[in-house]
Amino acid sequence: MLRFDRRLIHHFDWVMLLMLLLVAGMALANLYSSTWNGGNTASPVFFKQLYLYILGTAFILVLVSVDYKELENLGYLMYAAVLLLLLYTDFFVHSIAGTQRWINLGVFHLQPSEPAKLVLVLVLASCYSRTEAPDGYRIRDLIKPGILTAIPFVLIMIQPDLGTALMLGILFVSMTVFVRLRWSTLTILGGAGLACAVIGWKFLLKDYQRRRIETFLNPEGDPMNHGYQIMQSKIAVGSGQMFGKGFMEGTQGHLHFLPERHTDFAFSVWAEEWGFAGALFFLGCYFFMLLWGINIAMTARDKFGVLLAFGLVMLIFWQAVINLFMIMGFLPVVGIPLPLFSYGGSSLLTTLFAIGILMNIRMRRYQTQK
Amino acid sequence: MKNIRKRNRRRPERLLEAERRRDNGVTRITHRDEGELDFLRRRALYSAFVVIFFFAILVARLWYLQVQQGPEYSRLADSNRVRYVEVAAPRGNILDSRGREIVTNRPSFNVVWVREDNRLNDALLKKMARILGQDVSDLLARIRKMANTPGHIPVRLAEDIDWETVAYIENNRMDLPGIKIEVVPVRVYHYGNLASHLIGYLGEISEKELKNSRPGVYRGGDLVGKMGLERLREKDLRGEKGRNYMEVNALGYEQKYLKGVEPLPGNDLQLTIDMDLQRVAEETMAAGDKAGAVVAVDVNSGRLLVAASAPALHIDEFVGGISRKAWKAMLENPYHPLINKIVQGQYPPGSTYKLVTATAGLAEGVITPDSIIYCPGYYRFGNRTYRCWKHSGHGAVKLKRALAESCDVYFYQVGQRLGVDRLAKYAHLFGLGRKTGIEMEHEKPGLIPTAAWKRKRFGKPWQEGETLSVAIGQGFDLVTPIQLAMMTATVANGGTLYKPGLVETVRDPDGRVIEQFKPHVVDRLVGQGRNLQLVRQGLIDAVNGRHGTGRRARLKDLGITVAGKTGTAQVVRLKQYRHLKDKDIPYKYRDHAWFTCFAPAENPEIAVTVLVEHGLHGGSSAAPVARAVLEKYFRDRGYGADDINVTILRSSGAGTTRAAAAAGSRTGRGANRRRQ
Repeated sequence: MLRFDRRLIHHFDWVMLLMLLLVAGMALANLYSSTWNGGNTASPVFFKQLYLYILGTAFILVLVSVDYKELENLGYLMYAAVLLLLLYTDFFVHSIAGTQRWINLGVFHLQPSEPAKLVLVLVLASCYSRTEAPDGYRIRDLIKPGILTAIPFVLIMIQPDLGTALMLGILFVSMTVFVRLRWSTLTILGGAGLACAVIGWKFLLKDYQRRRIETFLNPEGDPMNHGYQIMQSKIAVGSGQMFGKGFMEGTQGHLHFLPERHTDFAFSVWAEEWGFAGALFFLGCYFFMLLWGINIAMTARDKFGVLLAFGLVMLIFWQAVINLFMIMGFLPVVGIPLPLFSYGGSSLLTTLFAIGILMNIRMRRYQTQK
Repeated sequence: MKNIRKRNRRRPERLLEAERRRDNGVTRITHRDEGELDFLRRRALYSAFVVIFFFAILVARLWYLQVQQGPEYSRLADSNRVRYVEVAAPRGNILDSRGREIVTNRPSFNVVWVREDNRLNDALLKKMARILGQDVSDLLARIRKMANTPGHIPVRLAEDIDWETVAYIENNRMDLPGIKIEVVPVRVYHYGNLASHLIGYLGEISEKELKNSRPGVYRGGDLVGKMGLERLREKDLRGEKGRNYMEVNALGYEQKYLKGVEPLPGNDLQLTIDMDLQRVAEETMAAGDKAGAVVAVDVNSGRLLVAASAPALHIDEFVGGISRKAWKAMLENPYHPLINKIVQGQYPPGSTYKLVTATAGLAEGVITPDSIIYCPGYYRFGNRTYRCWKHSGHGAVKLKRALAESCDVYFYQVGQRLGVDRLAKYAHLFGLGRKTGIEMEHEKPGLIPTAAWKRKRFGKPWQEGETLSVAIGQGFDLVTPIQLAMMTATVANGGTLYKPGLVETVRDPDGRVIEQFKPHVVDRLVGQGRNLQLVRQGLIDAVNGRHGTGRRARLKDLGITVAGKTGTAQVVRLKQYRHLKDKDIPYKYRDHAWFTCFAPAENPEIAVTVLVEHGLHGGSSAAPVARAVLEKYFRDRGYGADDINVTILRSSGAGTTRAAAAAGSRTGRGANRRRQ
C-alpha cells in the first residue's frame, strides 16, 4: 500500500475536505467566542480543540491511503476494543456528576461511547454487506446485527447515558431499514420497538431521565433546570434575529445564561451572534456536507462502501438533527453534541474519522475489485 | 503503523481468496450483487429526501425563532441581562411659614443582600449577624418577609448603620458575596417631636399599600408616610426614584453600567405653621403636664399658625417600625398621645358655645344687647332646676356681662327662646357639627343636635329642657378644637368661616411654586357684622373685665387687647365629685378646660383655641397657654418695645438663622420673667 497510486491523489475528495474546513472554521470561531474569558488570549479549551482538529485532520489525510475495505474485518476488532473500554468505564471509573462516561488519559478524557457509535456503523455495514438476502431480510437475519447493537447499547445505558444509547438504536434502525427488509419483519420490528419504548419508560429510565422528558413536555413545571436550559437556548437563538448580535457580542452566551454553551448548546451561541443569516449559512454548509456524503454512498464501488457511507452520514445527520432540535426547543435535553461543532475531543475525533472514511470511499469509487 | 504494514503484507493472499470465491459461480452472484448494489444506491438517494426534510424543518424553525419571534426573544434576552438598581429619591423638605427647615434628609447607609448574587448560606448569615450585632433569627425574619419578591430586589438586613460598620463591610466585600451597602436618604427632624401629629412619620410600606399603589412606584421595604402630612402629601413629597441600569451575568454579578436615570427629589412643602409659636404652645402644654390641643389661626385667611396636640408623639420610636411594647404603652397612656386631639378629640364646647347662642339670639331677634335677664343662680324649667355656675347668681344681666361672666341662666333663656333647631342653624354657620376639611386624618365632625337628629337617632321627640343644656354647650354638643378655633376666627373677622389651611406653598425641586395657599371661604354669616361686634365686646370684657373669666389671658404689658371665652366641659355629671376639691377628683373624671380667644380685639389677626383635657377650669388651665402663644406672636411682631433684643432681632429681618431665633425666644422669655 505504501506504493502510491497516483489516481488516488487525482480522485482525492477535495469537496469534502473543503466542507470540513469551512465547518471547522466556524466551529473554532464559535468556540473562541463561547469560551473567551475576558483575557488577552483564547481559552485553553479553544487551543485543545484546535490542536485536536489539526491532529485529527492530518491523521485522516494519512489514513485515506488505506483502502476502506480493510475496515470490513478491522471493524470487528475496533468494536471489541470499544466494548472493552465501555466495560472498563462502567465498572472501574468513578462517576462524574452521577454518570460514568469518561476515561482519564492524562491529557485527554476519552468518552468511549463516542467511538462506540462509529464502530457500530462499521460492524453493521460489514455485517449487512456480507448477508445475502435477495428477498429481503427475515427476523432471523437481524439477530446478529441486533446483538451487535444491543451490547454497547446496554453498556452505555448503564453509565447512564440515555442520549448516546438511543443514538445507537437510531443508527441500528436507520441501517436496518436501509437494507431490504421483508414487510413482515418491518411490522414485527415496529411492534417490538413500541413495546420497548413503553417498557423502557416504565422500568428502565432513571428518575432524572424521565423528568427531563416530562420537563420537555411541560417546560413551565421546571423553570430552573432543564426547561430553563431550553428556554435560555431559545432566547439565545431567537434574540439573534436576522443578522445576530455580532461575533463575541452574544449576551446569552457571554453572560452565562446559556448552559453548556461550548458543548451541547454551541450552536445557540452561533445563532445568537450571527443571526438567521449566519445560522442559515452554517446549516447550508452542513447540509451540503451531508448530501455530499449521500452522494458518496450512491457512488461507492461496492455494497460495503454504500452501507458504510450511508451509516456514517446517518451518524452525523442524526446527531446534528437531534442536537439542533434540542437547541430550538423541539426535543428534551439529551447529551448529543453537534458533530464537528460542539466542543469535545472524543466526538470530534470520531466525526473526523467518519469523514476520513467517507473521503476514502469517495476516492476509491472507480476502483474495481479484481 | 507497524500493524498496518503487517496487515498489508497479508493482503494479497486474502484478495486471492475472495477472487477464488467469486470464480465459483461467477454470473449468478455477480448479477444478484449488482442488483443489490443498485437497490442500495437508490435507497441512498431516497435518504437524501429525509435529510432535506429535516433541514427544511430546521430552517423553518430558525426563521420562526429568529425572525418572526426575534423581537420577543430579544426582549427576553434583555430582561435576562439588564437589571436596574433603584436609587431612592430624596423626599421633599418640610419648612415652616418662615422657611425654616422642619424636616429634611440626610444620607444613611443600609446593608442589603442581593439574593441573585449569592444564595443564602449559614456561614454568611452568621458572619453578617456578627458584623451587624443582630440575631440570626432577626435577619432570617427580614429575608422571609421578602420571600415573594423577585430575586434582584435587595433584602435590607440593617438600616442606618454607623460609619465603622460601613467601612468594615466595604473592606471585606470579597468575603461577603451578595452583600452591599445602599445609600438612602432618611428624615431629619430639626424640631424634634414638635408638630409630630401634624407632620407624621414614615414607615415601611405595607403589603396593602403596595398592592393599592400604581405599579413601579414602590417596592417592598420603601418608606412611605404613615401619618400626618407625610402621608397625606405622600405624592408631593416622595419624588421619583432614579434607576441605574446594569448588565449582569447569569449569576447576578454586575458586568457593566449601561445607563442611569437620576432620581427626582420630592416637592418641598412650606407650611403655614410658625414653628416658634408651635414650640411655645407645645412647651407650655408640656410644662404644665397638660394633655389637649392648641390651635392658632390667622383669622383673615384660615392659615393655621399653631396646630399642636399634646402630648407629642415620639417620632423616633416610630422610625423603623414601632415596637409592640412602645405601642402598648402609648395606647394605655391616660394622656392618649396617639390621638390627634386637634381633629379627633370631640368635647362638649361648654361655655365657649355661648358665642353661638349669643349670635343666634341677636340675629334671630330674641334678644337685644340691652335685654335684661335676671339670674338668681338657677333657672327652673318644668320640674327641673338648671343651675348657674355661680350659685349666688349674677342678678340682672345684659348680653355683654352675660358673656363676660359666662352667666348660664341668661343663655338658658336665650336658648329656650330660640329653640334647638335655630341654635343648630347658627352653630352650623360657625362650622360646628361638620368637618372643617383640614389636611389631617380621621377628622371627627363633632355633633350639633337638632330635633330631627334626635328623632332619627333615638326615636324620641326633642325635650325642651335639653335645649337649655345645649345652649350652654353641654348635653349632646360635641366639638373639636379645630372647629372651635375656626368659629372663633369667624367671630373675630366678622362672619367669614374659612377652611383651615396647613400648606402655604408646594415647590418643585427647581423652586417653582406648583401649589399656593388661597383662603377658602366655607360659609358666611351675612349681615351679622353688628351682632358679632356686640359678641366681641362681651369677649373683651371676659378677658379684661373685673369679673371676667379669662383674665389670665391679658397681654396688657404688650399693649394688646385680647378677647376670649372660657369654657368648662363636663365629663361626668356625677354629684359625688361636685363637692370635692379639684385635686381630689380622679384625673379622668375632671372637666375639660377650654379657652378660645383672638387678638388684637379691635382689629383681630390671630385666634387661639386651647383645650386642656381634664384641666378643670378654662380660665386657670387653658387661658395661660393661649396667652403664651399670643405673647410670642405679638413680641415677634415688635410689640413690647421695652425688650430691646426683640427689636434688634426684628430690624435684622425676619427669617434669620434658627440659632438667632432661638436666642431671641430665650431672651424674650427671660425679659418676661423679669417683669413678673
